[in-house]
Amino acid sequence: MLRQETRVPVWLPGTLSVASCIGLWVVATTFEFVGPARLPGPKDLWESFEQLMDPGYAGGTLPQQVWFSVRLVLAGFAVAIVTGVPLGILMGMSRRAEALINPAFLVIRPIPPLAWIPLAILWFGLGNGAKIFVIWFGAFVPALINTYTGVRSVDPGLIAAARVHGARPWHVLFEVVVPGALPLIFTGLRLALQASWTALVAAELVGAFYGLGRVLMTAARDIYPGMIAAAMICVALLGASMTYLLGLAEAKATPWRNR
Amino acid sequence: MSSIRFERISRTFRVGGQLVPALADIDLHVDEREFVAIVGPSGCGKTTLLRMAAGLDHPTSGRVLVGGRPVTGPGPDRAVVFQQFALFPWKTIRDNIGFGLKCTGVSRAQREPIVERYLKVMGLDGHGDAYPHQLSGGMQQRVALARSYALEPEVLLMDEPFGALDAQTRIDMQEELIRLSRVHPRTVLFITHSVDEAVYLADRVVAMDRRPGRVREIMDIAQIRRSEKWGELPVEEVMDLESFNHLRTRIWRLLRRGDGEASGHGVVDNPPLRTQPAQKTKLRRAQ
Repeated sequence: MLRQETRVPVWLPGTLSVASCIGLWVVATTFEFVGPARLPGPKDLWESFEQLMDPGYAGGTLPQQVWFSVRLVLAGFAVAIVTGVPLGILMGMSRRAEALINPAFLVIRPIPPLAWIPLAILWFGLGNGAKIFVIWFGAFVPALINTYTGVRSVDPGLIAAARVHGARPWHVLFEVVVPGALPLIFTGLRLALQASWTALVAAELVGAFYGLGRVLMTAARDIYPGMIAAAMICVALLGASMTYLLGLAEAKATPWRNR
Repeated sequence: MSSIRFERISRTFRVGGQLVPALADIDLHVDEREFVAIVGPSGCGKTTLLRMAAGLDHPTSGRVLVGGRPVTGPGPDRAVVFQQFALFPWKTIRDNIGFGLKCTGVSRAQREPIVERYLKVMGLDGHGDAYPHQLSGGMQQRVALARSYALEPEVLLMDEPFGALDAQTRIDMQEELIRLSRVHPRTVLFITHSVDEAVYLADRVVAMDRRPGRVREIMDIAQIRRSEKWGELPVEEVMDLESFNHLRTRIWRLLRRGDGEASGHGVVDNPPLRTQPAQKTKLRRAQ
């Protein structure tokens, strides 16, 4: 019989795999299977964090750098949501809008967000504008495509059902199309958030006065593996926790899928 | 004023560059508070006819009048019950039932007692806060019926509403509908391909031909139904009546002859009753 008898808590396998990765790292660095010039050990990492926290590195302390980067990600991501989602809905609902927007979108879409950096710097300078623009572009594409796909996947039978029960166009939009597309919209937002972090770090690597990308760039110049790892870990933790928060928002917004 | 009138309706579809006539020259009317069932083989255009009354499809020529006015689009005065229920997966049962009322501008406070009443009428007490996918097919179709009834439309359009239910549930729902029709009489256009269902429920049964869809014959059974008090008997007893079986066999013969399958003999000993497999079709959900 195909039956799972084991009663393993859901969190256990994941914790084990993370713990074994950390264990491997500790062993490899402590016994110097990998030299400290290539992979920093726990002690190097700890010292890097201390330096980041206390006197600061690359022009600011850790909270300042984190806040600077998070702010940019949130700004770019937010602009991507308020542009990508409505445009995706419009394209999904109106053939005319689709015919108008889709060709332009298909041409622009294959350009990697990072390829926009030089132009963005020319347009907006080295300040926040260029970075928000690059983040926006990276996040806008998945937000739009998934919203569009989500809207197109709404069962036409449900739209008919709404209309024969008195729904006006805005009822169809807000009571049927948007909730129907919501699961895919959230998929788009998750991808967009990921793209935001990618674009942020790349943009900051190219030119920034603050931020985690700037820390990374400075550490690379200083050949400082501990600091490189510290900045990477910060990006990982921030990205993961924002994705987690987005997951909470999704669960809250789509309660019918939790039961 | 809530009659339905199809006047010289034709409908052609364009399939791969060719014009295919789906309905030809249909003249049909459903009087106020009359229950008319249309039976016919798949592809006879019966659903297209219903969609025209709903305003979801339009005739190529001819016109559809509801309550004397030409149909131009969908409206809450002509609620439709669909075969696949078409409930909103993201709305609770309560919000599904209240959907039409919300759209037509009834305030939350005014909606509440109506929704509660229909929860009770349909035997859905205690399920108001559930979501559709948590209920069985029969219960989901009860919710769909409640959603349409809650609007108190003059006209109800039912497109094989029990076609996706298992045999047992189907019979329960048929009785339920008879009960509802007695308490809240409405003008009903009912599409089915179950001859039994049509004879059991309707005042008049319309038998249709296919390719192109035409009205073959209209049978008036309101008289018999009233005099033998079918509405007060359980399904199985009605189906045991000689009058019922006589009507059913007649319609079967008609439909078979129209299809050119039964030649000469005419009598159908064992018509395939409710051969439809119970299929629980889940609404497609965007993932």
